[in-house]
Amino acid sequence: MNRHNLGTVIGFEFRRTVFKPRFWLISLSVPVLIAVVVGLIALSGQTTAERAENQGSEPVTFTYTDASGLVDPAIAKAAGGTEVTDAAAARQAVVDGTSQCHIDFPKDPLSQSVEVRGTDLGLFDSGRYSAVAQAVLSASVEKRIGDPVVAKLAVNGADISLVTYADGRPTPGLAGVIAPGLFLVLFYLAVLMLGNQMLNVTLEEKENRVTEMILTTMNPTTLIVGKVIALALIGIVQGVAVGLPAGIVFGLFSGSLGLPSASDEAGAAAVLGLIPIDPATMLVGFALFLLSFLMFTGLLVAIGAVMPSAKEAGNAFGVVVMSMFVPLYAASLLVSDPHGVVSQVFTFFPLTAPVSALLRNATGGLSWWEAGIALVVLGAFGWAFLVLGVRLFRTGSISYGSRVRIGRALGIGRR
Amino acid sequence: MWFSGAMDAQPIPAIEVRGFRMAFGDQVVIDDLSFAVRPGETFGLLGSNGSGKTTTIRALLGIYTPTAGQLLVEGRRFDPAQGSRLGYLPEERGLYRKESVLDVMTYFGRLKGLSREQADGWSRAYLERVGLAGHARTRLDKLSGGQQQKVQLGVTIMNSPDILILDEPTKGFDPVNRRLLMDLVDEQRSQGATVVMVTHQMDEVERLCDRILLLKDGRAEAYGTVAEVQDAFGGRRMRVTFSGVLPASANFRVAVGERNYAELELPDGVEPNLVVRELLDAGVRLRGFSTARMSLDEIFLKVYGEQEAAA
Repeated sequence: MNRHNLGTVIGFEFRRTVFKPRFWLISLSVPVLIAVVVGLIALSGQTTAERAENQGSEPVTFTYTDASGLVDPAIAKAAGGTEVTDAAAARQAVVDGTSQCHIDFPKDPLSQSVEVRGTDLGLFDSGRYSAVAQAVLSASVEKRIGDPVVAKLAVNGADISLVTYADGRPTPGLAGVIAPGLFLVLFYLAVLMLGNQMLNVTLEEKENRVTEMILTTMNPTTLIVGKVIALALIGIVQGVAVGLPAGIVFGLFSGSLGLPSASDEAGAAAVLGLIPIDPATMLVGFALFLLSFLMFTGLLVAIGAVMPSAKEAGNAFGVVVMSMFVPLYAASLLVSDPHGVVSQVFTFFPLTAPVSALLRNATGGLSWWEAGIALVVLGAFGWAFLVLGVRLFRTGSISYGSRVRIGRALGIGRR
Repeated sequence: MWFSGAMDAQPIPAIEVRGFRMAFGDQVVIDDLSFAVRPGETFGLLGSNGSGKTTTIRALLGIYTPTAGQLLVEGRRFDPAQGSRLGYLPEERGLYRKESVLDVMTYFGRLKGLSREQADGWSRAYLERVGLAGHARTRLDKLSGGQQQKVQLGVTIMNSPDILILDEPTKGFDPVNRRLLMDLVDEQRSQGATVVMVTHQMDEVERLCDRILLLKDGRAEAYGTVAEVQDAFGGRRMRVTFSGVLPASANFRVAVGERNYAELELPDGVEPNLVVRELLDAGVRLRGFSTARMSLDEIFLKVYGEQEAAA
């Protein structure tokens, strides 16, 4: 491969994408969108807190009937309640608007529901009636029990801390999925953000009818490898463009989101401390990610070389991406029965291998030999697709405006 | 044959095709084609649509793999990675349409081995010459078809190629720009470049080409200098200016007949003197006459007209 030409292709492809305003417009729209969503969540949290505070200062007045005999009249009265005997009349008063709320405590609250009727206060504020009914009943029950500790335990339960062991060592549990699971997220983002550009690796030359000029100026392998490397670099730039503002936003708003604050040292340590990292799993995850990316790239390059236009290639791209993410529909099976037949078929079939293997690796359900087979499958098919793509590009991409018949394109090459 | 090998001390042909056969499935497009292009000559590859010209060029440049035969550029199979200085203007025109003129030209210049500064300097000088200096930063898809063609020609002749292959070079050019293009090609020729023209413009072929190859149904119909091909096809002709009525005769056939002008095709063995005497005997008053060969246009019509008629 001519190094000078490879560098020229990488430089050209990189510059003509990254130096265009459209690239930054699209790339930065993602963190802007994230910022807007985070802002809305933070704002919503603040409003909810304020509303809860206001609710506390505006007591509800209500009537109630108590068939259970559990409600303490003093507690009910303190909460704004008045006991009545005619439930039907009290309910009608609410309908007529002369009473704000009526609560019917049934004979057996364990098997029967507490019926609440109230004047509408809006989607969120109307929940105050149910909250009052629950609070009155809980406080009455607590008072009946007598011992406040026992009463709290009966109502709230206790905090439970679980530690599990495998091979004599504590297992990380759900938190252990986070770090290796990032490779699955990265792969998903790569497909999402670079997929169309990968498809265009060979389509662009074909659509612009520049293939013959290119093929007589340089080796097609150099062109395609250069374009793929440029795409990977563009992906990194795009990742930084998306990740950096997102990180800043997270740092600024993590407190508002109820997460440990990442803006101070202790907070950052707390966040990182929650994420256990197993080097072997991370290494396998990284290798799976790289080879999955290679296979995906090779496949899209080959599709691009065969299809006559971006529109038709887009349809094929959709089918490929759907089939690649089919394992997500069987995610529960992959996690609960990682060594079953279905899981193994998904893991070793080239199209479904990336997501299946990355998911199983993240959840600790991928044995070393399964990881080995998956890596070999991904590497072999990635290489084969790339070779096929280059060959189809050479012979097929001058079939301007028509779909290439693979057999014919390869048949020409064999003669 | 002059290109048969090194033993006869002939230079290595710029292009050599031996026993070339190309089939797509069961369809044979080219069959047993052989020809050579000498270094520094201008060679015309002629043929009707679908006769196999572009397929031959694509196989020569490694885009297609031939079914059989050898296609060599400067004595070896063409490989752009080996640094052969070859410029190719394909029939299917196109460049990176969303990029600026200068960016595209510089890119190709770099791929052709120029430094960034050289490529940039060459491109700006070329654009100045062809009247596109003001469009250096314009996106290609914002240019007219003719302007895009000029840019593509510039990319083709960048870095002074030793071999220049032009497939339908004047397609899409108006007469003014056609002249400009031919001047640029002439310049390359004068600098020693070998030029292969694939074209339907017979006047250009007659004016520029040293030798030609006529392809018909994937086979060589004629191959040699323009004069040799004219002799092989047209025999001799007489152009006569006259008054009176031309007689019917076995000694000539009226190829072109107007009121006072005619072109007479003479069969082998018939001398012009005999025809002149016959016309005078028939009472035709001759105002002038000359001998001529059949034009390439007429040869083209003769060879491919029959094919078209049959189709």
